[in-house]
Amino acid sequence: MAALVLPAGLLVVLLLVAPMLLLFRISLNRFSPTELMVEATTAQNYLQAVQDPYYQQVLLTTLGIALGCTLVTLVMGFPAAYWLARMESRWKSLATIVTLFPLLVGNVVRAAGWMALLGNEGAINAALIGLGLISAPLPLLYNTGSVVVGIVAVVLPYMILTLAAVIEGIPRQTEEAAANLGGRPMTVFRRVLLPLALPGVMAGCVLVFILCMNTYASAVLLGGPQFKMMAPAVYDQFVRGNNWPFGAALAFILLTVTLVLTVLGSALIGRKYRR
Amino acid sequence: MTITRRAALAGSAAALASITAGLPGHARAQGGQVVVGTWGGDYGELLRQNIDAPLMRPKDIEVLQDIANADPRKTKLLAERQARRGTYDVACLSDTDMHMIGQQNVFDTIDTAKLSRNGAIIPALRKPYAVPHIYSALVLLYNPDKMPKPEGFAAMLDPKYRGRVGFSDILYSTNTFAAAMAAGGAFDNYEPAKKSLMDLRGLDAKVYPSNEAVAAALKSEEIWMTPMWLARGFMWQKAGIPVKHVVPQEGAYAIVFECGVPKNARNKDNAYTWLDASLDARAQTAFADRMGYLPTVTDAALPPEIMQQIGLSEAEQQRLRAPDYDYLLKNHAGILDFWNKQFKG
Repeated sequence: MAALVLPAGLLVVLLLVAPMLLLFRISLNRFSPTELMVEATTAQNYLQAVQDPYYQQVLLTTLGIALGCTLVTLVMGFPAAYWLARMESRWKSLATIVTLFPLLVGNVVRAAGWMALLGNEGAINAALIGLGLISAPLPLLYNTGSVVVGIVAVVLPYMILTLAAVIEGIPRQTEEAAANLGGRPMTVFRRVLLPLALPGVMAGCVLVFILCMNTYASAVLLGGPQFKMMAPAVYDQFVRGNNWPFGAALAFILLTVTLVLTVLGSALIGRKYRR
Repeated sequence: MTITRRAALAGSAAALASITAGLPGHARAQGGQVVVGTWGGDYGELLRQNIDAPLMRPKDIEVLQDIANADPRKTKLLAERQARRGTYDVACLSDTDMHMIGQQNVFDTIDTAKLSRNGAIIPALRKPYAVPHIYSALVLLYNPDKMPKPEGFAAMLDPKYRGRVGFSDILYSTNTFAAAMAAGGAFDNYEPAKKSLMDLRGLDAKVYPSNEAVAAALKSEEIWMTPMWLARGFMWQKAGIPVKHVVPQEGAYAIVFECGVPKNARNKDNAYTWLDASLDARAQTAFADRMGYLPTVTDAALPPEIMQQIGLSEAEQQRLRAPDYDYLLKNHAGILDFWNKQFKG
């Protein structure tokens, strides 16, 4: 049986672990404007990134956006997932496909759609100006709000489908039994449904949090030039600054923070669930 | 029906031949193809219309464009520099980028003997590692309906134009140069930009994610001024955007778009054929007519009405110089850092 894992394992080693090791090696090199990078074994790039207030702020923004979007997605996704999971009509397959629909469009195309909607000359501002409700366009684009809207639209289907899969496995009778015993809907949700759905909540949050931490297209296209998250900052160092060692160090900091928070979060929720 | 061994072998060979006939050049014998790493949009389209179709196709050379902005293509060139076979046969970049990448030993020295049009190249634009394709000048674009003609970049710092100066984020280095020159800087000294950029920030200067976004802001008259390429100004004027240009009195640089052949190009002969075609007088005139870029060859005649719009007087030409490539190479990371952390941060 173990041999069956071998092809996938080799693929992961070749396509993920090996490039990561190479990237880690690059992160220990020294940047040189004329030679691109000089071979070295130094933690200077990591120290520079951690000590620089600019990158501290970029990391905090990224964390704030990722946590906020995960929370918004959970709150918005749970009712939709519950509705989808408990649906018994013949439209259930169609509803599932509709939930998946946003994933059929690439991130960049989706962000371009939001730009067409939220821009100064976009559909919303044009409609408001046309109706005479405003005289100058509202600044709907290039701010934190537009980034959150863009990201939530991307990750919501992941949360809904993950939660729905778990809720489907919870027998409806458990909720009915709790209600028969006098539990009000909120109490049934809090005491019965939520604890039973916690593995789904945990999986959905981990998935969405990781996706949000690594947001690139939504941050660049909807946040504008002044809005910075970690993935665009990594890109900036590699592609605009040609500073591969520092870009690699930033990438590893992003990876480490995401990994640590994901493991911590999972462990905390897991402990609560086991209780 | 029985299939003999001989018939099966013949059938396989025919099938293989028909399959490989459709494969790109690297699967067949080399030749018949050239991969050009270039910008898309109007630039890519004009290359297709004026070089690829009329000049390369008759020679039975298929031109494949690898389209991306300059930054990802630079990164690809750097990442592949030690590979035996690279992606590009021809790489199109601005002169500053070409110098930066050329320093990493990426490009061949141009073999001028392989270029029949070599003699027509404007001497001042010659480089050992690249062929000049088109060029333009850095100017200050302004809205003539909203403000009098400015004399130079210093007008951006005038408090009466608070909130009316806009910058394209992708031109961070050029904008830093303009801000430096506005405050007494020089081609080899961008230090004064640190203060003037922060002054501009205090004057609510705006930053837009792309040149197109700057064009939209000029069109809506949200901003009245921006440092930009003359050729862009020409295109925007043609599109009805209310802008005129001034070659700044402080001095500015010319931008030359160049083409080089990477050392690890797979189809070098075809690359030279393409470079030669890019110097064709008709192709160069077409770029001037549509995009407002000046020809890099001496024998490309421009219609007088276009010359009037994009041509430079002798006095204006005196104010233009090539950028200080070495200074930019050494300070590029610092310029980007300041732009991101201090000015935009």
